[in-house]
Order: sequence, then structure tokens, then C-alpha cells
Amino acid sequence: MIAPTIRADSLRVGQAIPPLERTVSLVRMIAYAGATWDWHRLHYDPGYTAARNLPGPIADGQMFGAVLAEALLDWLGPRAFIRKLSFRLRGMVFPDDTVRCEGEVTAIDAEKDHDVVTVAMRMRVGDRIVVEPASARIALPR
Amino acid sequence: MGDDNPLYVDDAYAREAGYPSVIAPPTFVCETNQYAHREPNEDGYIGQSWELPITGCRMVRGGHDYEFFRPVLPADRISVTWRLEDISEHHSGRGGSLLIVVVAATFTDQHGEILARNRETLIFQPLEASR
Repeated sequence: MIAPTIRADSLRVGQAIPPLERTVSLVRMIAYAGATWDWHRLHYDPGYTAARNLPGPIADGQMFGAVLAEALLDWLGPRAFIRKLSFRLRGMVFPDDTVRCEGEVTAIDAEKDHDVVTVAMRMRVGDRIVVEPASARIALPR
Repeated sequence: MGDDNPLYVDDAYAREAGYPSVIAPPTFVCETNQYAHREPNEDGYIGQSWELPITGCRMVRGGHDYEFFRPVLPADRISVTWRLEDISEHHSGRGGSLLIVVVAATFTDQHGEILARNRETLIFQPLEASR
């Protein structure tokens, strides 16, 4: 049994996206560096970052695009398709920070074969914004 | 990052949802380094750095604009073309300046059809000003 895909007529502008939280452990950062073939020591080597006056390895900003996409697809379902995803990085994320992804629906448009949902999103660690603005357009089957 | 969506690992599930097979997470092809044949430099980095003559700066990632045209499948053979789109200098209020570099990658499949586009903004900050 596959998960249901949300229909656009059940959404409304202003509706909140279910928040997604992820704790960025050093192990996940190492796994991410390996999976994406980015071996820059900035992203996993505490000795390297200490020598550069940083409090710890810095999470690769590209990781947050994956978290934004996950939040959208977990919410909308397996037949939703992200057409556009944009985000600006505002702050650094360090090992064991918990990032929280949140947002809301800003528009719902009908096309010939699909409905398209537009959302505004952001990510924070506690009260500190780390990604903003972020936005996406997602096609939903009728 | 702990995404447990069965579309990425369970072939039967993905087919039931209407796909020809499992699919790749949407941003995955864009996030993965495409210069994996190179030797790591002293920072461990193996990606390309555009050979820009920029010294005394720290590079930080400003953001991404992704566009996706269809789900990427394990059967796809992907070609990537990078373009340097823009370089501009921005003066900050405190008298310093930043160099903003915009680069874009286009991902196409084995038939030359577009899969995805990734436009990314890189910010070069002077090392002195970043302390």
C-alpha cells in the first residue's frame, strides 16, 4: 500500500507545512560527505576547523536542500513532483545542532493536467535562522 | 540525512506509485560532486574551483536555485555541463567588499533530454573581514 498523495483542493493558502526536524550529527556529516563525494575537511575534521577559529565542522549547505525536499515530499506524498526549489543560506550549522524546517502554502494554481502548490519555507536552529528565504513549486496530480 | 522515503529504495513501492523503478531523491544528482576523478587537494577537496584567480578569500555557499524536469532513474546516464554565469563585486556597509560568483549546472539524460538545473551562488569574503 502506497501512501496517499495530497490533492490541491484539500490545501489552502496560509496552511502550515508539517515541520521536519533533523539532528546533524558528525556521523551524518561524514556519511553525507562520502555519499556526495565532497571530501573537504571543513565538513568533518574538527582539527581543521579548530585551526581556523571555527567552533566545529560546518554542515554542507547543500544538505538543507535535501531536508527541504524531504519535508515537502513526506507531507504531499509519493506522486508529488518538485519542479523548483530555491533557498538562501544564512547561518552555519555545527555537529549535533537540530535544524527545524517549516513553512506554509503561499499559492495554489491550476494547470491543464496538474495543480501547482507554491510554498515559502525556512530553517532554524533554535531561534537562529540558518536558511531563509526558501521557496518551492510542487506539481500535484488531480 | 535519514530520509526513509520508500520511493528511493523499494522498487515495488515505486512502481505502485506510477514510476518505472525506484527514483533518486530530487536534489541528489545536484548535490553529488561530478569531479570524482581528481586527487584531493590539501583541504581534502576534489571538486573544481573554476580556476578563478581569487586569493586571500574564504568561499561560502550563498544558496541554490534548483529546477527539476522529471525523476532521475537508476537506468539514466547523466551528462553535466557547468557554466560560469556571473561574477560581480558587492560593497558592504562596513567598507569591505564581497565577490559574488554565480555558476549553473545543467543535467541531461542519455537522450539529451533535460533532467535538472542547479544555479548556485558562491560568496568570496576577504579573510581579514571575516574575523
